[in-house]
Amino acid sequence: MDCDEVVSGLILELRRGTLILLVLSQLKEPTYGYELVKKLKENGIPIEANTLYPLMRRLEAQGLLKSEWDTSESKPRKYYKITDDGLTVLEKAIKHWREFSRNVNNLLGGNEDEK
Amino acid sequence: MKNDLIERYIYAVVKRLPEKKRKDISDELSGLIDDMLIERCGDVTPSEQDIRVVLTELGNPYELAEKYSGDGKKCLIGAPYYSTYKLVLKIVLICAAFGSAVAAVISELTSPSAVWYSAVGEWVAVVFSSVVQAFAIVTLIFAFFYHKDIKINTYTGPDSLPTVPKKNERISKAGSIVGICISIVFGIVFLFVPEVFCIVISGKPVISILDSEAIRSGWYFIVLFMLLGIVREIVKLIEGRYNFKVMVSTLITNAATVAISCIWLLSVNIMNQSFTSWIPTIFEDKPQLITTIFSNFQVFFLGVIIFALAIDTVEAVVRYLKNR
Repeated sequence: MDCDEVVSGLILELRRGTLILLVLSQLKEPTYGYELVKKLKENGIPIEANTLYPLMRRLEAQGLLKSEWDTSESKPRKYYKITDDGLTVLEKAIKHWREFSRNVNNLLGGNEDEK
Repeated sequence: MKNDLIERYIYAVVKRLPEKKRKDISDELSGLIDDMLIERCGDVTPSEQDIRVVLTELGNPYELAEKYSGDGKKCLIGAPYYSTYKLVLKIVLICAAFGSAVAAVISELTSPSAVWYSAVGEWVAVVFSSVVQAFAIVTLIFAFFYHKDIKINTYTGPDSLPTVPKKNERISKAGSIVGICISIVFGIVFLFVPEVFCIVISGKPVISILDSEAIRSGWYFIVLFMLLGIVREIVKLIEGRYNFKVMVSTLITNAATVAISCIWLLSVNIMNQSFTSWIPTIFEDKPQLITTIFSNFQVFFLGVIIFALAIDTVEAVVRYLKNR
């Protein structure tokens, strides 16, 4: 059995849901895609542009984000911002995440931060 | 050249996406690639190699297109329809292959081809095309169900589930499928080529046992006969076990079949008269029993039908009562 392959598959699954949470949380101000890629990377969350761009578009289709082209600069850019629905979802998701991660950490043997 | 690479990349992504999204996605992607190049090269004009590195970093354009196309239904037939689809497809293909194979043999017998290989070719073509058609129809129906979210299994809670059939309560699918095939073959043979039943001497059909005209004039009996048989087997296939429904449907269809057989065989003389009168001469040296059977073939035939149906009915009733 290739353990590394299993682990990378598992990490992918774990990241999938949390990425949405992170993206929503970072779009309270209008931000364009590549700016967000850099910001997440700086904070230790590397995400490929080829994952983030389709993800933002999907969240927009779900009504959690809205976008606008800014053509005033020399280079036109598409800025994304969270909607009111998005904020409601984010709030609930954060609450769930905190509880869930606390329980997971408890079961895994104590929260690292509290040690 | 460098723009050419970027253009080709973006085109590869958007060409599989819906028309109305293309412009927006390609603008967004070209902005992204530009940002990535600036990040990499700063104010220096990027070389062709830089572009290659950036595009490689962006990954496979076809996979990117796949991500852009969303999480919607990406397959023709998916869960929970796929397992039912496979089951139905298997049954339908077996029936189609068998039914068309027999029908093609019969049509060859009635209007023989000039040469043997054209007969074989025709047979293969008929079987192949009917199997392909059956496959296409079943697939289309299930693809439609899947994409329109039409429910085929209703589940409204644990109580709505049927109980597990006991071992001897189960009805074998193979049995039902064979039953359906036999009904189809029976119908086709009787309706179209009753001449198949004949006495063959030295490889040549000498005399037909049945009166083709008499049989064809009672075609509706044969159609009813066939339909009743198919209905009975389909109920068994759907239920998959000897239960009350199967018992009732077997009782009704078998009673109706017996009634129809009696009406048909007792009112119409389906035997070829010249065959009947010829019997004593061909079976001279054979035991008396054979002569008797063939002389009263029509009654014998009715007896066989009733006997077979009686066994089938008794089985359905007994199995149901035993498993109640």
